Amino acid sequence: MTVTTIPASEWADRARALHAEGWQVMDLTGLDRLRLTPDGPRFGVVVQLINHASRQRQMIEVAVDGDEPTVPSVTEVWPTVNFMERETYDMYGISFEGHPNLTRILMPDEWEGHPLRKDYGVGKVPVEFIPQPIMQVDSPGQTPGSGSTGIDRDRLGQVVGEGDAP
Amino acid sequence: MTTTEELLTDIEANGHGAFVETFDEQAGRMVINMGPVHPSTHGVLRLMLVIDGETVDECLPVIGYLHTGIEKECEDNNWRGAVTAVTRMDYLANFYNEQVYSMAVEELLDIEIPPRARYIRTLLAEMNRLSSHLVWWGTQGLDMGAMSAMFYGFRERELFLDFFEMVTGLRMNHGFIIPGGVWEDLPLGWERAVKNITDQMPRRIDEYENLLTNNPIFLERTRGIGVLSADDARSLGATGPIARATGIDWDLRRDMPYEAYGDVSFEVPIATEGDVYARYRVRVAEMRQSVKIVEQLAKNMPKGDFRHQDPKLVHPSRREMAHSMEAVIHHFKLSTQGYTVPPGATYAAVESPRGELGAFVVSDGGTSPYRCHVRDPSFVNLQSLSRMVEGGLLADLVASIASTDPIMGGVDR
Repeated sequence: MTVTTIPASEWADRARALHAEGWQVMDLTGLDRLRLTPDGPRFGVVVQLINHASRQRQMIEVAVDGDEPTVPSVTEVWPTVNFMERETYDMYGISFEGHPNLTRILMPDEWEGHPLRKDYGVGKVPVEFIPQPIMQVDSPGQTPGSGSTGIDRDRLGQVVGEGDAP
Repeated sequence: MTTTEELLTDIEANGHGAFVETFDEQAGRMVINMGPVHPSTHGVLRLMLVIDGETVDECLPVIGYLHTGIEKECEDNNWRGAVTAVTRMDYLANFYNEQVYSMAVEELLDIEIPPRARYIRTLLAEMNRLSSHLVWWGTQGLDMGAMSAMFYGFRERELFLDFFEMVTGLRMNHGFIIPGGVWEDLPLGWERAVKNITDQMPRRIDEYENLLTNNPIFLERTRGIGVLSADDARSLGATGPIARATGIDWDLRRDMPYEAYGDVSFEVPIATEGDVYARYRVRVAEMRQSVKIVEQLAKNMPKGDFRHQDPKLVHPSRREMAHSMEAVIHHFKLSTQGYTVPPGATYAAVESPRGELGAFVVSDGGTSPYRCHVRDPSFVNLQSLSRMVEGGLLADLVASIASTDPIMGGVDR
């Protein structure tokens, strides 16, 4: 399969032209070229397109570099890329300019780092064990377990209005 | 007290992680969470709903609760080992995951697989479509209040799982389809086992139709509910039965044939209404076509090798290893290092029970995939769920979720 590589600056215009020709996006994802082509641009946004009328497929790679890689979003052209761009942002840290809601989609919101980058190791994240006493004797009048388990509630998700609960 | 608008702005700025629930008395709108633990969200799908009384104003799917980093895991496996990782994505359609990954790797290797391997793969995939649709049929019925649908659907699914166990040794997560063919030949007596299933299924599908297709309660709850137009389906990238129920006449098996689909004849069921009932009819009709395809494949199953015969690519047989030193060396090399794949990038796609399942695989010439991305149809189709339910009733939301048939293992990967 042939891959057409284009710079990020041409992507928005190219996308509109392709859409006018009847091409639909089937898939959009990222690629970290850190070990593949160490000299070229580091990231690629890989787009798979299909044309139902001519029964053809093509692959386009949008090359992007820099510490904060940014690519124009094509959600206006093909609304289907909404989730895909969010996933690419989540996994590679590639920002999509003009995306309506560019937040993490698969990883937790407060996650640090972008897991599919090649410099993000598999075993580098320590497993989070929640410290729990083996046996706890509650003093009279104390609600069992309240405030003593040390669970970082912020990381488990916030509950609005928690303080008001009886 | 935050207003609904403030809350939605906050969600857009900070992500969807917080479990916020609020009631805006002035606007009369309420934000509630449905899921991630909810009997009718089919797994760990969470929907943030803005509701006005019983009407759904906005529906934001929040996903990621089943994210297990399978794509990252593939990069640490060898080419053969990554099959066992990808098969766990869409857990109701395991053979499709293995098949699409293997097709992509074979394209990079530039090899042709033997005809028998193509037929075995297609046979297993098509049976997998039936077993997957049976789960959908059961849950669609269950969500509409027809409890017995679940029993019947799962009863027949057992036939398929037993057959898969007979062929691969496992009921799911088979790791059976590998780059180069399949892991083993079909076992003795497979023809009888397939015939047993194909003889029963048309009668069973008639039973299902008797139960639901003309059931007044079911009709009432599915007709005109969750309507998606063809334009929306196209722009939101919906594929598979969801797209075909809106009138988009597209099926990869027929329009871009792969494996053994070029050798079989079948029809592609289409509906035009785009509602839950149309999706129901398309899927039930698809089940009948799948039975036909399985019958044809079993009848015309070619003889010969069941996988590619390059000793550098596939493990030698046990018998060979008892006689040949070469075979032992090959076995050792394949087991410890695996094989290398020429550098390149490719995309392969198959028609899974839920739509276009694609695999984007990149090789740097090493013994493991440099990048393995799977385009899962459930992930993309989930975007059309919001369009289906917005403006409808909360109670109808359940019908739309069931008819989207999302598999969270595939959505979150």
